[in-house]
Amino acid sequence: MVSEFRAAFALISILAWLLLTGHATPSDIECLKAIKSSFKDPNNYLASWIFDNSSICKFTGIECWHQDDNKVINIRLSGFGLKGEFPLGIAGCASMTGLDLSGNSIHGNIPSNISKLMTYITSLDLSSNQFSGEIPADLANCSYLNVLKLDNNRLAGHIPPQIGLLNRLRTFSVAKNQLTGRIPIFRNISFPAGSYAGNPGLCGKPLPAC
Amino acid sequence: MDVSFVCLFVVAFWQVSGNVEGDALNALKSNLADPYNVLQSWDPTLVNPCTCDIGDAGLSGQLVPQLGQLRHLQYLEMFNNSISGGIPREVGKLKKLVSLDLYLNRLSGPIPDTLGSLHRLRFLRLNNNNFSGHIPMSLTTINTLQLLDLSNNQLTGPIPVNGSFKYFTPASFANNPLDPLPA
Repeated sequence: MVSEFRAAFALISILAWLLLTGHATPSDIECLKAIKSSFKDPNNYLASWIFDNSSICKFTGIECWHQDDNKVINIRLSGFGLKGEFPLGIAGCASMTGLDLSGNSIHGNIPSNISKLMTYITSLDLSSNQFSGEIPADLANCSYLNVLKLDNNRLAGHIPPQIGLLNRLRTFSVAKNQLTGRIPIFRNISFPAGSYAGNPGLCGKPLPAC
Repeated sequence: MDVSFVCLFVVAFWQVSGNVEGDALNALKSNLADPYNVLQSWDPTLVNPCTCDIGDAGLSGQLVPQLGQLRHLQYLEMFNNSISGGIPREVGKLKKLVSLDLYLNRLSGPIPDTLGSLHRLRFLRLNNNNFSGHIPMSLTTINTLQLLDLSNNQLTGPIPVNGSFKYFTPASFANNPLDPLPA
């Protein structure tokens, strides 16, 4: 009985220590595995992504919080020619703040629960892909967003008005999509017409009134 | 403690007569206990940039104010050691500093507000120490700051959200008794 208690105490202490020293959780590795398996990679840009228990921090396009801590802060896969849909497994990269998937051939919807997949996202660039469907209102819950680039896709419907609640946003573009309806009002900033150009039916400032 | 971290201390010497900088390195060297003799290779008379590997070296002891004399220093990498004491205010004089990595040590005291003068700083990682007091507002004026980690310390007070800190999330401040961010 005493030895079981001691074992439990030791286990809890080890777990607490691991938590405090910020050691790798397996989930960042699972996140990158999910990304790799979500995409066809005809140009073999992800060739360096070999999962053999060594550090993921040296993978092409991956930046970690600290040297070889296996905790991803930024994923930059711009122009890799990747084909497929948005990798839902990216949720495993729980400390990710930057995601750049621009200039690929990613199709399908932007996930409707995107704020659950990337709680701490500050910079999200999905531009120049083939995303379709609507811009999810849940993006408004990504409250740390500074940069949101959705331009040059096939997004349709209205821009969710709740996007206007993102009070850290300083760069925003939905240009070159299939969007209609009223442009959201932001409290502390307004974006130029270029952020909205190339859509069939957007209206309201800075474009002509609805 | 995981012993696989490597630490680089890169010093660029611009002139042969780097006596001031040589003295600074000597001051630091004599203030650190170095059981594995990793600092033995430091040669203050070198002209060329010197890469001195002092990671995972079991270094203990304290930092010195003379660090502020290393005016050309770009990378201060002393992570994962057992260094104690505070960050000297003079570190704020290192105007060329791009990276300040003192994480995973036993440092304590406040984060000096003089660090706000490091206007080329891109990486500031002070996590996993025993820093206390408030986060200096002067840090929000560093426009080049890309990566901030102050997690796992004893910091109190408000989390700045203005200036460059608009870019940082709770991930940068976790495990401190800081005031929660407003909803």
